[in-house]
Amino acid sequence: MRFFKLVVPVLLTALLIAPAATIAGEYNMVMSIGDPLPVFENTPTTDGGTLSSADLEESVVVLVSLANHCPWVRGMDGGLVELVEQFKGQDVRVVGFAVNHRDDDRLSAMKEHALMSGYNFTYMYDESQDLGRKLGATRTPEYFVFNADRKLVYMGLLTNSPARKTRSGEISFINGDPVDFHVANAIAATLAGEAVDPAETRAHGCTLEYE
Amino acid sequence: MKRIPRLIFALCLLASGSIWAENTDGQSAANTSSELQPISFAQWDGILERQLGNITVVDFWAAWCSPCIERFPHMVEMHHKYKDRGVRFISLNLDEQGDKESIDWANDFLGRVKAVFPNYHMDENMTEAFERLNLLGLPAVRIYATDGTEAHRLSGDNPYQQFTEKDVENAVQDLLIQ
Repeated sequence: MRFFKLVVPVLLTALLIAPAATIAGEYNMVMSIGDPLPVFENTPTTDGGTLSSADLEESVVVLVSLANHCPWVRGMDGGLVELVEQFKGQDVRVVGFAVNHRDDDRLSAMKEHALMSGYNFTYMYDESQDLGRKLGATRTPEYFVFNADRKLVYMGLLTNSPARKTRSGEISFINGDPVDFHVANAIAATLAGEAVDPAETRAHGCTLEYE
Repeated sequence: MKRIPRLIFALCLLASGSIWAENTDGQSAANTSSELQPISFAQWDGILERQLGNITVVDFWAAWCSPCIERFPHMVEMHHKYKDRGVRFISLNLDEQGDKESIDWANDFLGRVKAVFPNYHMDENMTEAFERLNLLGLPAVRIYATDGTEAHRLSGDNPYQQFTEKDVENAVQDLLIQ
């Protein structure tokens, strides 16, 4: 009896702790659905200001990893701008962030790219790469949707059909016209207080270059 | 007189057939082509199976992937360094199916860097290819031991655990001394 009294609580505790401690997302080696928004502070933005996670007051916060040089970012810039427009006036904040140290992805190039692409959202430079690492972000673009409690409710693709800007400047969707708008659906469901399904998809794009 | 051109034509056909056989078979001393060969999922499985008995380094890449292009010459250097020590090198290109512009660019690139080992293009839907090959991002390198088991998987999938060219070389050397 003493054996069971001792072992059962230990096993139960281990079972409760183990999932949180060892399971990350299916396609993300750091973050799991339900994890909190990583803290970031005074991160410089392309409009000359800074942004901290504490400044975010909206019910839904969307973070998206970007890289100016990346053909997949350029191919899906239009979809990102449309997404922001779609939820304009609603309690949603979209924030793009870059982490790469290559010259064409740094802050000065980001300012040019934001202007050229008509970015209608805050675009910040995580030079320390700390936010990118804490999010487990490895590709661009890769989306992270957080609810009002700042818990992760969705991560992955914008839609079911990633798009790339080709060398000749055309936009090529790899699965034809998008039919599943994953991020828009995640935002709408979260605003409505509903569960997000799917909560995770396999992001597709350029690999982030961590130093 | 008519027989001679026919004979030459037949010999040409035979020669091209034998080159194809060597290339799809994996690797041989006679294979000096750097052109991408389109393959299916089933053909890829067969290619990997035929590497049994050798240490095999597979480089997954695409023309749109800048770090892949930057790192590829190291793969060529390693091929020259280790080809006579039982190490085979294969590249698998994952540009979009039917994207002639990228494939042409990739072929030109492979010629420029003199990648004279088997270079394949996965001629399948890109989303399915990443799922089927269990890839998140590029570049990625997988190294198979002589018994066909995957001994090393190097990728940028974990921000806290990135890989360098030196890691690829160390992994090959590890297998060589086993």
